[in-house]
Amino acid sequence: MKPIFARGISNQFRLTLAIILSVILIVANNRLDPVRKSVSSVLSPLQYIANVPGALLDWSAESLATRNMLAQQNKELLRQQLLMSERLQRFEHLRQENDRLRSLLGSPVHMDAKKIVAEVMEVASDPFHQYVVLNHGARSGVFVGQPVVDAQGVVGQVVQVSELSSRVLLISDVTHAIPVRVTRNDVRVVANGTGVLDELELKYVSKSTDIRVGDLLVSSGLGNRFPEGYPVARVMSLVKDDGQNYANVIAQPLAALDRIRYLLLIWPDEPASEALEDETAMILSAAKKAAEKAEVGE
Amino acid sequence: MSMHIANGRWVVWLSFLVAMLFQIMPLPDLVEAWRPDWLLLVMIYWAMALPHRYNILSAWILGVMLDIMLGAHLGIRALSMSLVIYVVVLHFQRLRNFPMWQQALMVASLICLHHLVIFWVQFVVGTVTFDVSLFLPAISSLIIWPWVFWILRRVRRLYKVR
Repeated sequence: MKPIFARGISNQFRLTLAIILSVILIVANNRLDPVRKSVSSVLSPLQYIANVPGALLDWSAESLATRNMLAQQNKELLRQQLLMSERLQRFEHLRQENDRLRSLLGSPVHMDAKKIVAEVMEVASDPFHQYVVLNHGARSGVFVGQPVVDAQGVVGQVVQVSELSSRVLLISDVTHAIPVRVTRNDVRVVANGTGVLDELELKYVSKSTDIRVGDLLVSSGLGNRFPEGYPVARVMSLVKDDGQNYANVIAQPLAALDRIRYLLLIWPDEPASEALEDETAMILSAAKKAAEKAEVGE
Repeated sequence: MSMHIANGRWVVWLSFLVAMLFQIMPLPDLVEAWRPDWLLLVMIYWAMALPHRYNILSAWILGVMLDIMLGAHLGIRALSMSLVIYVVVLHFQRLRNFPMWQQALMVASLICLHHLVIFWVQFVVGTVTFDVSLFLPAISSLIIWPWVFWILRRVRRLYKVR
């Protein structure tokens, strides 16, 4: 039988100890990143296991797709690739021109940054923040503060790294802010997250500032965190209330934050490796083939 | 008074592991807010069944692990889970003898306490807005508790966990 009177340490003492330890953790939270990193490295296999059902579902959806669906998807992708490669050709020309102009001006030539594709793992996160977990970690060279983008625009930045996974804070989180500029007239502002997935707020915009609905905001590179020139958001509404000191500006992120699946991790300071350039060349040649095929088809 | 040898420790920790998996498993957006607090439910069961082996400090360790898994501010769930388990350990005999519906109600109110403490600390360290959906997990936990209790009791008897 179990003893009726507990021996050893009393419950009150245990509780006091637990509370003291918790308070220490809460206060020292920001300095405990190494601890967090090592513990989450040990625990990250759990995340991979938790991800299995979703991955299985995806896999079965893929393997059960009919031939027709695949053919249709293939056709659509080929069409998109053709359009993209056309744009890429023009872009390549512009890039060379830009480099030449930059060298004439004596300003440093813009380098292509190293990037890798990461997949979002479907695991639950802290309900009070907007996080996604990626399947790349310190082993792939991911670091805290690293910018993350998707096909449409900036998604967020890495805030926690473990050995095999990392956690990204979305730009729409309340604690996130990103320096941006308006492409139309280079006005610089800061876009704060609001906690709502499709809303950013531009703070401290004076009423005389030239910002209009529909303006495109791109990262300005001023915080030394996000590289310059990535699209971030588009201004959706602008209210100039006489009772308030500043204009109330709401923008919508360009990245589809509610259904992100594949993301790009960017190393702004590392030049792109040869492999990636090869990849670009490969894409170009593949597109050329596709174009020829399309011509033959027609 | 003879020394009691712990038995089946791995069973308990395995159950914690499974609960942790359920806790971070992806759910459709519709039911996400209703996710029961699996880890806390399992911890409450073991604290009720074996309060001298699994109590406040085990809850604290699990809480820290959960905080890290969720990427939350460290120590929040550790604090709330140890508080809840303290209440359980104080009243474990009464809780054991309650009829099932009363026990489930008690557990639901403990889950409410858990979420209130989390909200409160989160409020102190950051910006959050109060939302009644905070208490939805208490309702789902209320429904799920009898099953958790039944399964874990069978596991405990099967593996003679002491």
